[in-house]
Amino acid sequence: MRLYFRLAWRNIWRHKRRTIIIVVALAMCMWLMMFYDGLLAGFTDAIYGNAVKVLGGNIQVHEAGYSENSLSNPIMPLGNDQEIAAYVLTLPNVVGASRRIETDGLATSREGSFGVSIVGIEPELEATLSVISKNVESGSYLHSSDGDNVFIGKGLADELNVQEGDKFTLIGRDAHNQMRKRTMTVGGIYDVNMPELEKGIVYMSLQEAQQLYDLNEKSTMVMVTLTNIGKEKSVIAGIIDQFPGTDIGSWQTKYPELTSAITTKSGAMNVFSFVIILIAGIGILNMLLMAVYERTREIGFLGAMGIRPGGINFLFLLEGALIGLVGIAAGILLGLVFNFLFQQVGMDFSKFSNITTYAALISGRVYPSLGLEKIVGRVLVMLIVSIAAAFYPAWEASHREPAEALHYV
Amino acid sequence: MKQLFKMAFRDILRHKRRSIFSAVAMGLGLTLLLMFASFIEGEMRGSMATSIKLDTGHIQIQAQNYDKNKNSLVWDNLIANPGQIADQISSTLPVIAATPRLFASGVVTQGNASSGVKVVGIDPRSPANEPYKNGLVAGEFLQGDDISGILIGKPLAKQYKLNPGDSINLLVNTSNGDVDQQQFTIRGIYSTESSGLDRAVVFLTLAKAQAITQAGDHASIIFILLKDINQTEAVINAIQATGIKIVPWTVLNSFIMDFQQYADSFMSLFYLIILAITATVIINTLIMAVYERTREIGILSAIGMKSSSIMGVFFIESAILAIGGIVIGWILGGIVVAYLTYYGFYIGDFGLTGFTTGDTIHAYLTVSAGISLTSLTLIVALLAAIYPAWLAAKMEPVDALKSAQ
Repeated sequence: MRLYFRLAWRNIWRHKRRTIIIVVALAMCMWLMMFYDGLLAGFTDAIYGNAVKVLGGNIQVHEAGYSENSLSNPIMPLGNDQEIAAYVLTLPNVVGASRRIETDGLATSREGSFGVSIVGIEPELEATLSVISKNVESGSYLHSSDGDNVFIGKGLADELNVQEGDKFTLIGRDAHNQMRKRTMTVGGIYDVNMPELEKGIVYMSLQEAQQLYDLNEKSTMVMVTLTNIGKEKSVIAGIIDQFPGTDIGSWQTKYPELTSAITTKSGAMNVFSFVIILIAGIGILNMLLMAVYERTREIGFLGAMGIRPGGINFLFLLEGALIGLVGIAAGILLGLVFNFLFQQVGMDFSKFSNITTYAALISGRVYPSLGLEKIVGRVLVMLIVSIAAAFYPAWEASHREPAEALHYV
Repeated sequence: MKQLFKMAFRDILRHKRRSIFSAVAMGLGLTLLLMFASFIEGEMRGSMATSIKLDTGHIQIQAQNYDKNKNSLVWDNLIANPGQIADQISSTLPVIAATPRLFASGVVTQGNASSGVKVVGIDPRSPANEPYKNGLVAGEFLQGDDISGILIGKPLAKQYKLNPGDSINLLVNTSNGDVDQQQFTIRGIYSTESSGLDRAVVFLTLAKAQAITQAGDHASIIFILLKDINQTEAVINAIQATGIKIVPWTVLNSFIMDFQQYADSFMSLFYLIILAITATVIINTLIMAVYERTREIGILSAIGMKSSSIMGVFFIESAILAIGGIVIGWILGGIVVAYLTYYGFYIGDFGLTGFTTGDTIHAYLTVSAGISLTSLTLIVALLAAIYPAWLAAKMEPVDALKSAQ
């Protein structure tokens, strides 16, 4: 076995130049895939990360049956919400749990009219965890006793042309599906530099929302904040254990279009990368085919010394695999270095923040990851293609008659 | 010269298999290039056509301080006497339609659910509504001055399980910065195969929209569809009016154009990588050819062949391989592109809000893209031959002759 490895390794480096050229091709394939994976991961992380940071909460607990209708934002009061919030805080990795009311509405002034999500929050509980409370531009953050004061983003304030202390009309749907109209005062304006996102949200205190939208002492969801992203699974399992009747989701479930966009894009990339790997594979095939001819006499020699056709076959397959591995290693190195450098500068995406609902969550630059998300699958595909490319030359080599091969000049 | 060609051709035929594989590699590369180019072009053309037809029109007439993001209904931001202006344009200029449209923000509610929508008031008689009329999946189109009818999109109808004849509550903003609401009866359900738009837009008659929003005889825009897109300039110059903005489709859809540029720059990176990988296959094939023929090259130069001619042979070989690759690429690529052009590629609902695009993308290969990608393949093949040709040309005849092969 070791002998085969030694033979194969020495064989592939006999013609350094041409091996290096093939390794370069394979490395480019690998690099391209890692670049793309990294970019896609960068986008998703930016979106989900910002969703958690800005919109708040890694996990949302709703009343059973919410997610089937989540597109139409139904108001479904959550039974035992206080109990859930208290229980969740006892779970590991949880840093915050607070109740919220979310309903659809419209914010209007003479300047214009904008569809918004109206969010009633427990301001004191969310203050330490939320980004908006730390980015107050004018006025002040909410207090639970704030009454008709609302807290809005700069994006919305600019569009409505209102400032701290100004009034505008807010229409929201109440628990009996009637639209409630109320004149609200801007108590404070925050700026997190995501105007498209800010445009769509109006914050008020939970008490005010309960009163306006007829949710006597109740709320529609419990928002759970974790120490970091990635711990969702165990916490969700913990909540389901205790409260089996609830509907629990994370941001991944909130943006189904994003998931479908990413699936389609990675699907297209898989086809694309397979074809370029195939092209590189043809490079390996050609090279090994030539190697068979160059080494006709040697192969005859090996055969004459008693190495079986299976052994010769194996030798060539091994050469294909080794070239593949060297290419993969070079590609991973290239990909890591490039993605790392790219990570330092990022890519400007701010121009396109209104392209989709979820793109509003991208603030300015997107920073790719190192691209190691799908590395195992990518490496396997490359390796399999490299070995497959060696099949034909290997077959060719192992079917030589030793005596004839030795005669070959 | 003829002799060089003959030599190159015969050399290629010496290792048929290797040559065929190399050509296939080039062919696959070209196939990918053609596929991507036609896909991107198709997507952009599709979005542009869809957007013009459904959303922006070729030309819009707007009030001086109109802002499309705000859906304001303050009279200052609207066009007065829109019917008169529209009639004048459609009777004197080469347009398919010039029709007033009024936009407002709204919320539809039904049961315990609600959705934000864009309310569009249209003149039901205008030919500009054809795409919606033809896309009706149930019920009828709005008619005359219907004051209680509404037209909604298929996704919305599906989400709320609504059928023609059902009623929904619609709340809209009004010109005094307030809101008003009313029950409407669904007359029809339309689908334009653009989920983003179908989900978000509901139609009322212009008369009703003006009444409920207290907009008086005003419209947000006059929507103009031309018979020929090339007449945009001419028609804009022919519209005489003061105190208004006349905006062409290029400006209305600048977002799509920006996005195309962005996509193009990304794509050129992909093209380069594909071609680079293809080039490595060609380089390797030719380098092998150089070494196999060391003695021959020695003989050729010993009998007086110039090194430039030796280089020439290799360049011609590479070009022949490339031509083979181009033929294969056009056959494979042609099949793929034809399939994508005819059947399209379904992307579904990406949640696009920034621009209107169909749910299915149909590829579109322009002649210039076909020509430039083909020549690019040829150029890359010739560039790939530089190093092997140079290797062959710099050989010393005496050493080459001595080399054992």
